[in-house]
Amino acid sequence: MTDTTTAPTTQTIPELQLDGVSKTYGTNLAVRSITADIPAHKISVMVGPSGCGKSTLLRIISGLDQPTDGSVSFEGKTVTGVPEGLAMVFQDYSRSLYPWMRVDKNVAFPLSKVPKAERERRVAEALEAVGLKDRTHLYPWQMSGGMQQRVAIARALASQPKLLVMDEPYASVDAQTRADLEDLLLRIQRELGITVLVVTHDIDESVYLADHIIVLSTPPSIVAETIDVDLPHPRDQVTTKADPRFVEIRGHVASLLRHKELQTGEDRP
Amino acid sequence: MRLIHEPLSTRRQAVLGVVGVIGVVAVAELLMRTVVTKEGLPVPSRVFGSLGDLFSDGTFWQAVGFTMAEWMFALLLATVVGVVVGAAMGASKAAMITFNLPVEAFRVLPSIALGPILVLLMGNGMLPLSITVALACVWPILLNTMYAVKGADTTAIQTAESFGLSRAEVVRRVVLPSALPFAFTGVRVAASIGLIVAVSAELLVGGGSGIGGYILVGSANATNLDLVYAATLVAGVLGVLVSLVMSLIDAKVFDWKKGLAQ
Repeated sequence: MTDTTTAPTTQTIPELQLDGVSKTYGTNLAVRSITADIPAHKISVMVGPSGCGKSTLLRIISGLDQPTDGSVSFEGKTVTGVPEGLAMVFQDYSRSLYPWMRVDKNVAFPLSKVPKAERERRVAEALEAVGLKDRTHLYPWQMSGGMQQRVAIARALASQPKLLVMDEPYASVDAQTRADLEDLLLRIQRELGITVLVVTHDIDESVYLADHIIVLSTPPSIVAETIDVDLPHPRDQVTTKADPRFVEIRGHVASLLRHKELQTGEDRP
Repeated sequence: MRLIHEPLSTRRQAVLGVVGVIGVVAVAELLMRTVVTKEGLPVPSRVFGSLGDLFSDGTFWQAVGFTMAEWMFALLLATVVGVVVGAAMGASKAAMITFNLPVEAFRVLPSIALGPILVLLMGNGMLPLSITVALACVWPILLNTMYAVKGADTTAIQTAESFGLSRAEVVRRVVLPSALPFAFTGVRVAASIGLIVAVSAELLVGGGSGIGGYILVGSANATNLDLVYAATLVAGVLGVLVSLVMSLIDAKVFDWKKGLAQ
């Protein structure tokens, strides 16, 4: 039992654990029973059909909402409020960023309790990481959608999260910007080694970004399957997506989602 | 023929605006010299002519100063009360339930009618007048603030919550700043209402002070009605100026309003 050499070195301790999480609104069961592990220092992607309770699940993970049943633990501790070391990026950047603050103030928003010198350094670093260090004087609404979402990512990074949670982060930008932002996320995750959890309904995006995919079923949701994505890094929008393994995983995820829809026989909006 | 939605050049707009003012004045002048030629009417040329006498009258400037001070104090009072109570009602259900009925009841009361009572209670002077004005000014500020706080963007709030901010911090750092431009719109509306109520209250219970008092005393003596009309005109111009200054402040301070998600 003390023989440590047999312990698999590739296995990482889960950063975030969902244990039988369910959520009921009134009589409406949104999330049935989700059990999943989010491994540390990797990108996990939750993919599911629209209305599968992804946003509900994210609110529970981020401590903004309580599960009806089951529990969430972050770094081994049960989540009751917003956990320290978690940062969120929302789909709707124009609402998530504060229009009365310029870019630097927006990024500094979570750092109000940090001493000024360090705060400024962290803001500068975060903006540098997303390639916006010379845009600090602009208001978010003076920027393109893609740039606004970069600001939102920078703000999340400035809080130095261990876990970055992203709710459909690229669903509101055009295809080219989306590809750029996907690559930006991959690069940042590898540079900083943080744990990332992305929620999306885009199957291509889920496979391209993920080290680990959690496929959800139609509501009331359960985990249909979890898949480890062994595609090599660094990934590339052209070559990775042409990789037979990519095509295979994508097909598998697609069939899972399709299968689950057929199984419940319901087509919800 | 230009359609209404076609943009006009700034110069053209200015010219048209001036033409409108001069046109109205000219028509009034013409009517009062040819059709309705009764004594004591505000014939524009005579009213403009007596502006000189008015401006050289020290008591008139005192009256203007009094009205402005009365109005500004009232606006300040209304802003503080309106923003505080409005924000509380927008942010807390308990405050909403507590204040809802009193607000609805007081809102429909004509504040001018309370003027005599306030004078009875507090005696003459600026304070009862200011309170009368404030009672009229507080509602647009209060209601605008309340609806803006209540309607604060949920994603903006969730974002702040996800960074671990407490409820009080969320209100202070997100909800209030996002509601400010709407509160200010309330102040803008209130400023114009306030000036009207200020002059009216002075006419009613001013005891001869302020622009209203000046008009009242002048018209009672009926010595120089043109001077009375000129004073009324000045009150109107003051209102326009106030509204102009307010919209300049709005454009400067709340420029970011453009960025609010619709």
